[in-house]
Amino acid sequence: MLELYHSEPNTFFLKPLIALHEKQAPFDSRWFDAEGLEQFELGFSGDVEAHLHLEREGPLLLHDGTLISSSFFMLEYIAEALPGLPLLPESAIDLYRARASGQFLGAHLGSLVPVLGCMRYLAPKLAAMDRTRLISTLAEVGPQERRLAWQALLDGTYSPQILATARERLKFPVSRVEATLQHGDWLAGPGYSIADIDAFAMLRVIPDLAPEVLNKTATPRVCEFLARIAERPAVKAALAMSRSGKPAQHFVPGVEPSRWG
Amino acid sequence: MTVHLYHWEPNANSGKPMLALAEKGVAFESHYIDLLKFDQHQPDYLKINPDGTIPAMVHGDHVLTESTPMMEYVDDAFDGPRLKPTDPKERWRMRWWMRFFDSYFAPSLSMIGWSVFVGPAVRQRPKEELEAAIARIPLESRRIAWRKAMFNEFSEAELTESRRRVHYCTGILEDHLARHEWIAGTRYSLGDINGFNLGYALPLSQPDHCNDAKTPRIMEWLRRIYERPAAKQIWSLGRTAMAQRVKFLERAAHA
Repeated sequence: MLELYHSEPNTFFLKPLIALHEKQAPFDSRWFDAEGLEQFELGFSGDVEAHLHLEREGPLLLHDGTLISSSFFMLEYIAEALPGLPLLPESAIDLYRARASGQFLGAHLGSLVPVLGCMRYLAPKLAAMDRTRLISTLAEVGPQERRLAWQALLDGTYSPQILATARERLKFPVSRVEATLQHGDWLAGPGYSIADIDAFAMLRVIPDLAPEVLNKTATPRVCEFLARIAERPAVKAALAMSRSGKPAQHFVPGVEPSRWG
Repeated sequence: MTVHLYHWEPNANSGKPMLALAEKGVAFESHYIDLLKFDQHQPDYLKINPDGTIPAMVHGDHVLTESTPMMEYVDDAFDGPRLKPTDPKERWRMRWWMRFFDSYFAPSLSMIGWSVFVGPAVRQRPKEELEAAIARIPLESRRIAWRKAMFNEFSEAELTESRRRVHYCTGILEDHLARHEWIAGTRYSLGDINGFNLGYALPLSQPDHCNDAKTPRIMEWLRRIYERPAAKQIWSLGRTAMAQRVKFLERAAHA
């Protein structure tokens, strides 16, 4: 029994949807409204890994009674546990490259992209909600790291200066991807892998959120990479699961930015 | 092919591949990089890892610089005892907890450690020397971290939050070890190697939160790991008092 709890197919939620479609694995889609905080009503608070949610918000995969969380490790799990198209690199060094890419992009894109996306698309939706009810709902959210991430969207934490810094800091991880793609079409060895799915899900929204960072002039290889992956039937099938028809406009808080500054 | 490992003390990120290699029985050529002398930002080392972070591992043509994926490489690339569970669910749990250690627990614990150890260890040097050292650091994130440590720029609010998280994480870990013998489940794995490098000195640095009365399972888990020959071998390579803290885990010390 395979159930995926997910919201609109964007960023963290998009990754396992692509992988499951690549595997052609039958699964039950359990859609929830992450922007409406429905994930806190799912009743998984007894599971520490799902409750703490290192990415703050994201998909949950329920497989034969075990909850799998954290989107990159979910990709690894899907690749390792399910039959179908191989999604892991074959050699030890390419496996290392895939994991190092997932860790690096998870820390950088995983924290920066959701901030920009949330301020562009989620903050106006939150502002239109009943504020008293919203604050009351948030007050019940635990652990506090997840609650504070939502409250930051309401209390003016993300000033124009902070957003400008976030856009500037995006250049570092995007340029790393561009440099890696100088050596081949894919991020971890000669074939398409979970590293590419992971990167695609976060990179594909940057032309909208920070067009000066990712474009055909500054990052031509990344643009070709995104176009190449977007043509895959599994990717089209994953994106077609959107209920709004505009999956790239749905964001929730992501990985916590470094507390060191 | 010789494995060259560039590392500091058996502690935190440096200790992860050291202990993984020892557990696999893989000999390696040790290159000691003195963090407190900023060896990691010197031109010779930047030729190996342009990011100026440690550890780094060179194996043939391959250069590996991320410590946790590096441990998985050690397990994948070399013969020896398996350090990852065979069950995909346990492998997932191992990875989740390694990320928890790396991205949630460690930054708070290290902020406290840098404020009381690393910062004071380098702060007495002339300001111009410290500024020049910062200017040589390639990564912005590391420049920020070193500046905070060198000039004691940690705010009380930051340190208070770090202390809260360390307390919170210690409780989560104790609860986890009540359900599972090892981090991944039933077998010693890279998750335990990762956690030991993070937490071997918790009973000394956080005596009010990590002790035999409050966290007996963490204490037993740390002692079981320290009793492994590989851990003894690696911690004997330590050159500073920091690594010597591991001896607190010797049962005879508290018999």
